[in-house]
Amino acid sequence: MKIFRKIKHRFWLFFLLFGVAATYAQEIPKPMYPPRLVNDFARLFSPEESRALEQKLRAYHDSTSTQIYVVTVSDLGGYAVSDYAFKIGEEWGVGQKGKDNGAVILIKPKVGNSRGQAFIATGYGLEARLNDAYVGRIVRERMIPYFKENDYFGGVNSAVDAIIERLSGEFDADGQQDNGGVPIGLILVSVIVFIIILRLIFGNNRHINNGGSNRGGGRFIFFPPSGGSNRTGGFGGNFGGGGGGRFGGGGAGGSW
Amino acid sequence: MRNIKILFSVILLGAVFSSCGYNTMVEKQEAVASQWGNVQNAYQRRADLIPNLVATVKGYAEHEQETLTKVTEARAKATQITIDPENLTEENIRKYQEAQAELSEALSRLLLIQENYPELKANQNFLALQDELAGTENRIAVERNRFNQLVKEYNAYIRKFPQIIYAGLFGFKPKAYFQAAEEAQTAIQVQF
Repeated sequence: MKIFRKIKHRFWLFFLLFGVAATYAQEIPKPMYPPRLVNDFARLFSPEESRALEQKLRAYHDSTSTQIYVVTVSDLGGYAVSDYAFKIGEEWGVGQKGKDNGAVILIKPKVGNSRGQAFIATGYGLEARLNDAYVGRIVRERMIPYFKENDYFGGVNSAVDAIIERLSGEFDADGQQDNGGVPIGLILVSVIVFIIILRLIFGNNRHINNGGSNRGGGRFIFFPPSGGSNRTGGFGGNFGGGGGGRFGGGGAGGSW
Repeated sequence: MRNIKILFSVILLGAVFSSCGYNTMVEKQEAVASQWGNVQNAYQRRADLIPNLVATVKGYAEHEQETLTKVTEARAKATQITIDPENLTEENIRKYQEAQAELSEALSRLLLIQENYPELKANQNFLALQDELAGTENRIAVERNRFNQLVKEYNAYIRKFPQIIYAGLFGFKPKAYFQAAEEAQTAIQVQF
């Protein structure tokens, strides 16, 4: 009985950790680890450029909670560039939950005969300010001219500036506190309730293994929130990855 | 007498238990209904862009009158059809889809003519409208997928035991899906 419960418990943990990853293992790359806003899979930027871009995006994220991801891939895996960008946005959870203030700048460089393609996907929360027409203009006027000269950093940098300029004043940093702050009280209450329920259920036979499963239960409940506070910057200002923003098909792109 | 009592309590118990399933059915039905609203909104958004697009093209391509009229007609026809979420039957959805597909086709022909008019092709307003149109097609695809997903959940739920016994009794009927794009119904490709 004890073993069975233990196995079940492990199974859930296993499922939690790997089940999520397995659902998108094949198609879209996983975000780089440790989490960062510049995911340069195609290696278009030099280390200095990458750092400068990351710094700018991170600063903007810290002050506004808006997540602008820059993703470069050398192959779109048969997807339309727009679909690829939406998939990244949805699966990585770009933007804060509830605010949906995420954007994905996806670049597939021009290699040999294949055309270069770029797409900026906007989360639900950004669509009002960054409407498709405006995004299309950013792609055409501020990115592609640079890309044609093979200056990928210049194009992305200028597009990021244009987006930040357009969004100024739209969001503030509180989105992060929302995520990390609220659950703590709730978690305490739910842990207490959980313990009481466990006591009620297993109260009759006071064996040690009950205590074990009890503590296990507590840890199980504690697990998600500690992950949650990591991702919202509880680790001394480190970036924790996507915040669960959603995408509904907004954005525009171009090719060269 | 005793038997009747037992029978009665069994029925009562059944009713109490069924209420859980009943509420879930209502929730799932509501989710489908509200998602249908999103689907119609996405299509409406496309329809709203068209007068502007037609006006812009007209300024550059006077003798494409026929193409322009076709788009306007298809739009009028498509906006006439709306489906109440109560009546999401296969036939209704098919009709809706056909009308929208006709509009897609007319639109794609309209966008093709830009090749003959370099000035139109470079017009900022036209470029912006094209971006909006492409974004709208993306949104339609997203909302349609979500709709199908919710319908799938709803249909699966009302067919499961024990809901299947009383779902029909309370008027929960299976709802129809959006069909995958056929040849004529593929979303228009806007070339950048």
